[in-house]
Amino acid sequence: MAALVTRAGGARGRSRQWTALAFLAPLVIYLLIFYAYPLYRNIDLSVHDYTPRAFVQGDPEFTGPANYLDIVSDDTFLRALRNTALFTLGSIAAQYALGLGLAVFFHRHFRLSVVLRALFLVPWLLPLIVSASTWSWMLNSENGIVNSVLQAFGIGQINWLTSPDTSLLSVTIANIWLGIPFNLVILYAGLQNIPDDLYEAAGLDGANAWQRFWRITFPLLRPVSAITLLLGLIYTLKVVDIIWIMTKGGPADASTTLATWSYREAFGTGQPDFSPAAAVGNLLILIAFAAGLVHVRLQRKEANA
Amino acid sequence: MRGPMKAPTRAWKTVVGVVLVAVMLFPVYWMFNVSLTKTGDMRADPPHWFPWDPTFEGYAAALGQQLPALATSLFIGLGTVALTLVVALPAGYSLAKLRPRGAGVMDFLLLVAQMIPAVVMAMGFYAIYIRLGLLNTVAGLIVADSTLAVPFAVLLFRAFMAGIPRELMAAAQIDGAGTWRTFRSIILPLSRNSVITVSLFAFLWAWSDFIFASTLNRNSDVIPITLGIFRYIGNNTTQWNSIMATAVIASIPAAFLLVIAQRYIAAGVTAGAVKD
Amino acid sequence: MNRTSISARTAAVLALSALAAACSSAPQGGGGTATAEGGTTYTWWDPYPQHDASSAWAKRVDSCGKEAGVTIKRTAYDTTALTNQALLAGQEGNAPDVILLDNPAVSTLADAGMLTAMADFGLDTSRFDKNLIAAGELDGKTYGIPIGANTLALYYNKEILDDAGVDPDSIKDWASFGAALKKVKAAGKKPITFAGIGTEEGSFQFLPWFWGAGAQLTQLDSPQAVEALTLWTSWVKDGIAPNSVISNSQNTTWEEFLTGEFAFAENGTWQINSAAKAGFPTGIVQIPAKDGGTAPTPTGGEFITVPTQKDTKRYDVTKKILECMTTPEGLVETGTTFAYYIPSTAEGQEAILKKEPSLKPWVEAVRSAKGRTSDNLGTKYPKISEALWTGVQKALSGSASPADALKEAQTQAKQATGD
Repeated sequence: MAALVTRAGGARGRSRQWTALAFLAPLVIYLLIFYAYPLYRNIDLSVHDYTPRAFVQGDPEFTGPANYLDIVSDDTFLRALRNTALFTLGSIAAQYALGLGLAVFFHRHFRLSVVLRALFLVPWLLPLIVSASTWSWMLNSENGIVNSVLQAFGIGQINWLTSPDTSLLSVTIANIWLGIPFNLVILYAGLQNIPDDLYEAAGLDGANAWQRFWRITFPLLRPVSAITLLLGLIYTLKVVDIIWIMTKGGPADASTTLATWSYREAFGTGQPDFSPAAAVGNLLILIAFAAGLVHVRLQRKEANA
Repeated sequence: MRGPMKAPTRAWKTVVGVVLVAVMLFPVYWMFNVSLTKTGDMRADPPHWFPWDPTFEGYAAALGQQLPALATSLFIGLGTVALTLVVALPAGYSLAKLRPRGAGVMDFLLLVAQMIPAVVMAMGFYAIYIRLGLLNTVAGLIVADSTLAVPFAVLLFRAFMAGIPRELMAAAQIDGAGTWRTFRSIILPLSRNSVITVSLFAFLWAWSDFIFASTLNRNSDVIPITLGIFRYIGNNTTQWNSIMATAVIASIPAAFLLVIAQRYIAAGVTAGAVKD
Repeated sequence: MNRTSISARTAAVLALSALAAACSSAPQGGGGTATAEGGTTYTWWDPYPQHDASSAWAKRVDSCGKEAGVTIKRTAYDTTALTNQALLAGQEGNAPDVILLDNPAVSTLADAGMLTAMADFGLDTSRFDKNLIAAGELDGKTYGIPIGANTLALYYNKEILDDAGVDPDSIKDWASFGAALKKVKAAGKKPITFAGIGTEEGSFQFLPWFWGAGAQLTQLDSPQAVEALTLWTSWVKDGIAPNSVISNSQNTTWEEFLTGEFAFAENGTWQINSAAKAGFPTGIVQIPAKDGGTAPTPTGGEFITVPTQKDTKRYDVTKKILECMTTPEGLVETGTTFAYYIPSTAEGQEAILKKEPSLKPWVEAVRSAKGRTSDNLGTKYPKISEALWTGVQKALSGSASPADALKEAQTQAKQATGD
């Protein structure tokens, strides 16, 4: 429809376009300066063989898709892909559900609600090294507080970080904890934008809290939910620090995701391998791209409906 | 719902809220606990629930060494918020309401932009800054940190501004207001919640950034707190009390800002800005 | 990056990379700029952020600059910094005059063509212990000199050993050590902790057992290697060592030892001071080889390296700075400042023993220690090491038997090094 207006609008439409571009210009310039080069660089790294020597001397061998083929045929690949899927989907599903629950909980004011809500954001103020180290501290097999509590209830020692069966779960839990503030803030702001009269009208109809949530809150929150989930997906795909600090992706790749794999190739060993690292990074960009496509399609469907 | 039932319901909610916060903040308590624990007790099995034999070495070190870094971090955080808003607000408005050609492409660019690994971004900045002479400057770090928030901010503004009724803008335009004035006097005031949300995120991301600071501001006299902490992580030893104490001390001003920001969101809502 | 957990060693490499950013104040190659007084500034990067500008170490660096007639601008980086940044500096042509590098990183940067060989500016390297300087050699050239060395041994808690009736001197080989551990366990204490983390630190800690069994890094799945890994694995399985060793960094290991609950901890020279301050009497024994004698332990510690400069005249002063840092007195001073580095020359070692006779076992340990990149492994070492620690992790966590884990490790190492 916008296109129709523009075409029909002639001179006015064109001036509208210029205005739109003028408002967009700072962003476009900003993106060109600060993102174009790194993106180009990431692609450049992935299609050459950048050994440390080639990196310093600037004379890498062009290898075309070889790095990508190596990555895909590596034993780690399928494992990392599976872990990435579990980690990402598990994290965003739980973060979203908990964040939404909390947002609804805090939506109506009660004594101390503002302060309590603000306190929920405190985890975010901590440097990642501190929060991730604290989690690995708490989840330590022998001297961790979590096992110590479980043992008080007669549950035996769980090797949270050191067993291949639980390490992925452990880093996911820590990541969910870190992601709750993000979801809470955005979803809460979204709730604030739902006009109160709608609830009042529904209240008059005798709807209970549960019905109000499913009939009004949830549908009206859909655009905000969509963007929260999409961003959550992107940020979770990128997560390195928390996993790296807690398990190094181990034991034996049990908690290696694509992002930590990429990090390990580049910085986790004595010998930096930038090229495969960049190739894995680009695969992640592709995944995010695909998620973005799905998002836009859904949005369009919604707009048409 | 707003009848006499209200009061008891709310008291009950406060109790639940306190419990939830306690669960959520348990790791933070644990960090606090470690900040006061002597090195010899840190890995005690079973762990000590309470630092009954505390050491204040960590706090002495953090207070003596980290206050300038704290101020730097605050400044960088606020600078990043300002820059992010300046770039993202007009862009969000344009994408949401003015519908330039290529808006869909822009969406993708923003999504892809956020996927570029931070380390690669940092390498790019290093190459650019070394030529511009911006290495080891606070301004340079603010610009770099803003890249963490700008794509997010544009997407969020776009999503929220799309919800502002067209009629409001149309009314203003009938009154003779140009696009800029509509933006300033209609859109901005109505976007208060999203502005505060974005500011919060921009601040927190800048506040917690390590990679940019480590790549770009290494040699600077002014370093943010995330770099400051690293003086306690030596080649073979780690001073956990000092690290945790720094984190505790650093959280205080930031937590204060959070509470203020939260009050603003609440105020914005009670003022009923959106509904008018 | 757990900043604890990133291997101290690997980390130092990474750290140095961050150094890249350091030199930014002098963006043009060489990094030297004339100061207002007409003197010259030399740039210096090291991985010791814990030593700030007012520290003894910083003063020592300054005084060596003064002696050479220049001002040294020192920048310290944390050990978690990123390798690409060191390389970035090389790429952008603004590397500093001097970098202190963790020893396995020397071959990597030398191979990248970033470093100047010591012989090229006439520095005599014959004074340094052969086993120590080996880590700075690549294809017959020496690219760095050790400012000191550290290595591993077994710290013990004397109270626990006394209670359990264990005489530390009885530990001669794996069998007697195993008997000692069992006695401790029978006495109700925790026998040993070590660092099996999936980083360079894990390999560093495993190597004494690996080499001590007679295994070689060129053959990760030899029967000797399997024996060594079986030893570690059985400790975890039988409760001799805690399960947390799988994710322990050396630092965490030390914190566990300091609780006073452990009889032994495998750790390095750098904990000497902390051990002296522990709430219980401690001592050390050398890590035993399988069939008796001392196992070769890996050397740790930084090398002074000199990145290639466009202006080759700068090397004359750099040479003076390096010589100042490595006089016997200089090495002793460095050694004590760092609590502790064992000097890397025979003269230096004698000098430090005169001052601190208690360091004798450590001096001996360093003399019998072995560089990780030696045996002409050079830049292949990091790849082999990654395969090794991955294998160790698999076996310790029970996802593969020691033999299978090492077989996979050998395949991985072969593939990665292209042999």
